[in-house]
Amino acid sequence: MHKLGNILKEMMKGILSPFISVLLAFFVSGILLLLVGTNPLEAYSSLLNGAFGSSHRIGETIIKAIPFIILGLGISVAFKAQIWNIGADGQFTLGAIFAMIVALYLPFSNIIKMPLSFIAAFVGGACWGGIAAFLKTKFNANEVITTLMLNYIAFYLLEWLVKGPMMDPNGHGFPQTALIHENLRLPIILKGTRLHLGILLAVILIIGGYYFWKTVLGFKIEVVGQSPYVAEYSGIKVNKTIGITMCISAGLAGLAGWTEVFGLHYRLLENISGGYGNLAIVVALLAGLNPFGIIISAFFFAALVVGGNSMQRMVGVPFSLVDVIQGLVIIFIISRVIYTRWREQNHGKNTVNSIYYKLIRKFSKDEYADSTCSTR
Amino acid sequence: MEKILSTAFIISLLESSVRMSTPILLAALGEIYTQRSGILNLGLEGIMLMGAFGGFAGAYFTGNLWIGVLVSIIVGILFSLIMAFLSVTVRANQVIAGTAMTILGGGLATFLFRMAFGIQKLPPSVEAFKSIEIPVLSKIPILGPVLFNQNALVYLALISVVVCAVVLEKTTFGLKIRAVGEHPKAADSKGINVYSIRYICVMIGGAFGGLSGAFLSIGFMNTYLDQMTAGRGFIAVAVVIFSRWNPYRALGGAFVFGFANALQLRLQTIGFPVPHQFLLALPYLLTILVLISISKKAEFPSAFTVAYNRGER
Repeated sequence: MHKLGNILKEMMKGILSPFISVLLAFFVSGILLLLVGTNPLEAYSSLLNGAFGSSHRIGETIIKAIPFIILGLGISVAFKAQIWNIGADGQFTLGAIFAMIVALYLPFSNIIKMPLSFIAAFVGGACWGGIAAFLKTKFNANEVITTLMLNYIAFYLLEWLVKGPMMDPNGHGFPQTALIHENLRLPIILKGTRLHLGILLAVILIIGGYYFWKTVLGFKIEVVGQSPYVAEYSGIKVNKTIGITMCISAGLAGLAGWTEVFGLHYRLLENISGGYGNLAIVVALLAGLNPFGIIISAFFFAALVVGGNSMQRMVGVPFSLVDVIQGLVIIFIISRVIYTRWREQNHGKNTVNSIYYKLIRKFSKDEYADSTCSTR
Repeated sequence: MEKILSTAFIISLLESSVRMSTPILLAALGEIYTQRSGILNLGLEGIMLMGAFGGFAGAYFTGNLWIGVLVSIIVGILFSLIMAFLSVTVRANQVIAGTAMTILGGGLATFLFRMAFGIQKLPPSVEAFKSIEIPVLSKIPILGPVLFNQNALVYLALISVVVCAVVLEKTTFGLKIRAVGEHPKAADSKGINVYSIRYICVMIGGAFGGLSGAFLSIGFMNTYLDQMTAGRGFIAVAVVIFSRWNPYRALGGAFVFGFANALQLRLQTIGFPVPHQFLLALPYLLTILVLISISKKAEFPSAFTVAYNRGER
């Protein structure tokens, strides 16, 4: 019974602090809205209505959550190893391009093309991320900047492809590729919405992600993240692990591109990644890099994006408010440490830690205990 | 080919290279202070966007470009305070803090712009900074039109290079910054306030970032556009590493990017037989190449990205 209580308490702690960060972000954005003369309650209620107002809208929200879940999972893998992969956008794009090449140009039957395009998407993303990993391990080039620059390069590569070599010959000059064959499309699982089977894939990947951290490789990645020196000393090949981590992270981003093309658009369009990469970072951070948390935070941000679009239409509040909320969420998440630190220092009487140290001080006379108290 | 080799073409190419390198140079100069004090501010992109908006709004509502510049600097400083708070006081991971700053800055600038100006058929605009021909000097062949027929902000950036070099190398303040970046513990024991030096350096970086944004909105263009920085903030960070934290070398690094940008534009207009998307991607590719060539040799400040905690031993 006692143990169950502890678990519940831990879970509450896991949910409560991101929840407070989100609440604060909404609060500050609300003040911002007031300052520019908009009623925040009106804006937020139109946001809520836009995301959940009808079964179609709920479907749209779930659809948006699919790429966020997969991208967030990918980002979380890299971030656990303290590799700052900011390039999910580009990896997503390359995954979509690779998959599309398989679907449109390779002379196989659809039964072979389906799994092959899936693999190609993973490989496409992994290659793009692999470049950054190679440059990091070989030349010590900062991966934040390289992955970001690769985003821009991927963006222009896609633009060139859909306006040039991959443009739909029967598309009247629209910058897009031909549609993929109907048998290749992910089936819609809920009538009246566009919700496709990709959601199942997302959930499977999340469960896989949960078990991945229990494997030897998952453990190695975590150790590299916590301390590359410790990892080196314990015989983990750090550079190899960085490469593998980056390829998994980027490969997952590529898979997100696959679901978006095969489940939703059925073709390549300009700027298909639509800035999801940045959002995925916020998704992963809000979830504390926890696989199951990612599902919740991906749904939350999907609702924010879908609702934000309708908020712009209905109340005239610019969609960029959603970006503001995202930025604030991260800021409040990383600032909450200061709150705990402040509590430990000033109001220490109430925290578990200080009670523990008080007990030590009371029951032992040795100086060591005292010195531990003072450094706290 | 003849078009490419004519003197007029080369002069106009170099002239626009100098102009295009200016925002990167300004942002890089500020980031040199920030990084020398041991902090990596990856939120430069967001600060620049806020500065671009602030500069434009200031100039638009007062009708005075210099007030716009002043507003952009103030906005840059105030916005960078968040980064200073996160990296120095909270001791947060600087990459994550920088990402938050970039997302927040881009979102906030666009939000405020939309709320202030609404959606109009013709975007609101101001009379941007005009080129000032400096007498005598502008008559020097090639160098004259390239360097001495630019707008006031370009001159300001070029002067800032010298000022920054002197401040960083020759003053006690510069020495303190380096001490804080190399060995905060020792600096602290000498009575230098590590926290306040770092706060000041991040804010100087913010001031330059804001100014760099203003150059884009009221010096280079005459309006504010969403995401008009187009990754220049991150390119500036790469330039800082390339320059090994030296303002003069930053000038060279920024010029290389300005050149790539200007070349790309010129080649597009004369119908160079390469898809223009490849040319557009050129500056970003160049950034990666620059990072490869320099990162192995670069000696980062010892306390780079390490938050200082006074109580810790």
